[in-house]
Amino acid sequence: MVRLYTENLKIGYGERLIVKNLNAEIPDKKITTIIGPNGCGKSTLLKAMTRIISQQAGTVVLDGRDISKEHTKLLAKKMAILPQSPESASGLTVAELVSYGRFPHQQGFGRLSKKDMDVIDWALDVTGTFDYKFLPVDSLSGGQRQRVWIAMALAQETEIIFLDEPTTYLDMAHQLEVLELLQKLNLEQGRTIIMVLHDLNQAARFADYIIAMKDGQVIKAGDCEAVMTHDVLKKVFHIDAQIGRDPRTNKPMCITYNLLRGDKRNEKAATPIYPAVSVNY
Amino acid sequence: MIPSTLLRKQRLIFGSLLGLILLTIIIGFGIGYSTVSYNRIIPTLLGHGTFKEEFVLFSIRLPRIIITILAGMALALSGSILQGITRNDLADPGIIGINSGAGVAVAVFFLYAPIEPGSLVYMIPLLAFVGALLTVLLIYLFAYDRKAGLQPVRLVLVGIGFSFALSGLMIVLISSAEQTKVDFIAKWLAGNIWGTDWPFIWALLPWLIILIPFTLYKANRLNLLGLSEPVSIGVGVSVEKERIVLLMAAVALAASAVSVTGGIAFIGLMAPHMAKALVGPRNQLFIPIAILLGGWLLLFADTIGRNLIQPDGIPAGIMVAIIGAPYFMYLLLRKM
Repeated sequence: MVRLYTENLKIGYGERLIVKNLNAEIPDKKITTIIGPNGCGKSTLLKAMTRIISQQAGTVVLDGRDISKEHTKLLAKKMAILPQSPESASGLTVAELVSYGRFPHQQGFGRLSKKDMDVIDWALDVTGTFDYKFLPVDSLSGGQRQRVWIAMALAQETEIIFLDEPTTYLDMAHQLEVLELLQKLNLEQGRTIIMVLHDLNQAARFADYIIAMKDGQVIKAGDCEAVMTHDVLKKVFHIDAQIGRDPRTNKPMCITYNLLRGDKRNEKAATPIYPAVSVNY
Repeated sequence: MIPSTLLRKQRLIFGSLLGLILLTIIIGFGIGYSTVSYNRIIPTLLGHGTFKEEFVLFSIRLPRIIITILAGMALALSGSILQGITRNDLADPGIIGINSGAGVAVAVFFLYAPIEPGSLVYMIPLLAFVGALLTVLLIYLFAYDRKAGLQPVRLVLVGIGFSFALSGLMIVLISSAEQTKVDFIAKWLAGNIWGTDWPFIWALLPWLIILIPFTLYKANRLNLLGLSEPVSIGVGVSVEKERIVLLMAAVALAASAVSVTGGIAFIGLMAPHMAKALVGPRNQLFIPIAILLGGWLLLFADTIGRNLIQPDGIPAGIMVAIIGAPYFMYLLLRKM
């Protein structure tokens, strides 16, 4: 079943088109990962799907309705966003920041109800940040802070959660911690998760559905078996990848890779530069 | 969710500021060109004063004190809102061209009005208000981008540009005018609180009665706008709409204050800043403190200013600048 899809989406900054006629479907209650080289438009796509930027043409459809025509507060009850490296919340405590996630459910002056409090505690609990509840957000480490921002998105109680590179700037253990938390939310509560990831092997390990993009277009979309192939990675990243199996999860993984030889884009760098010497005989 | 110790601290500061304002009012009652002795103030307020005492208190001192407090409050609230929507702690109503817009309108009216200006004294706040609104409208049009919407940084930059351009225009206007007219305009620009009559109070009060609760109602949205644009959109704040509505409120507040007091800067910068230093960045907590601080600062500046040199005194705007400039320097030094 598909609740969310894009139709002929065109997005650009000024004259430059970043995403060109893009059609993508997001499977419901699954983890979807968008991968692609730098500048391929994956973050732009995520921003358009969450109404942070507006498209030049085409539509993003959620539950049969064009999201650009929906009330923004209503949408905030259906989808939450964790932007790429959100700025610091100076002077706020963890509990306060997470309480901001309750905004779409509040009315009037924004007093927190008993239910709001319960949801906030639950969000803190499930992200393992309950112990920091009354600490200032600024005093936390990068990994702790990222989990607090996820808790804020969770407090929104939405069925769909978007994350733009949630593992950037985190060390290996914290990366895995965040991804496992997202997997748990997906498996135990059936939340639909859409995220941009840089690491192909993490994408293969955690995603049910991978969208591989290049130059603003979808090159291949499907499960990890369909996307993590030599051919697809060659087209998308211009790499000659060797695909093996993760001995623990049995998922496909990119074991090693080389830059493609004979490819236009890489040739420039590979061609030795001869000194310009002219000899007259 | 706000720590209860902080709430208690905020209430304590709120109470102390109310006390401070009251104290300054009482001191201000007694001193001035014609003195009223302190043991006569309460009887006079209760209606047992002599004609002279009643005249000094009710027709001279009280309206001026009330106007000063209200204008200070309006400027502080305006500054709080502007700092919130531009996410810039140095934003001030003066920066988005309100003072200079109102100034040009007053100067043009004063210099070129066909009728003797004295009879049309009540037109001046109205004109200043219209001048300020027109300026902000122009700034808004120039800062607005059809694709990106209203970008706070652009608004501030265009505002500063307009502010300078209008100040230049004013110098050109004044330089070719007669001396008596220039005197009035120069005093107006210095913020001499010339509108010290009950009608001016009734012109200012409604804005505050409406816009203080309105801003506190929007406090949560201001908190979110302070985080970042994507985060605000993500939780369902209509960022563009809120920015415009709040900008309008800030303009109305500052324009109505400046139109009766003349050009007063720094209050809109200082009051919110000091309030944030006292109780932190949460809008619902610091805005009430900022409002009281703004009212008190202007009252304090005017009480000192009007008694320093007899009989005209030093304009409140200059007194505020004397207090404000060092504070501004302190802020900049601390940030470095």
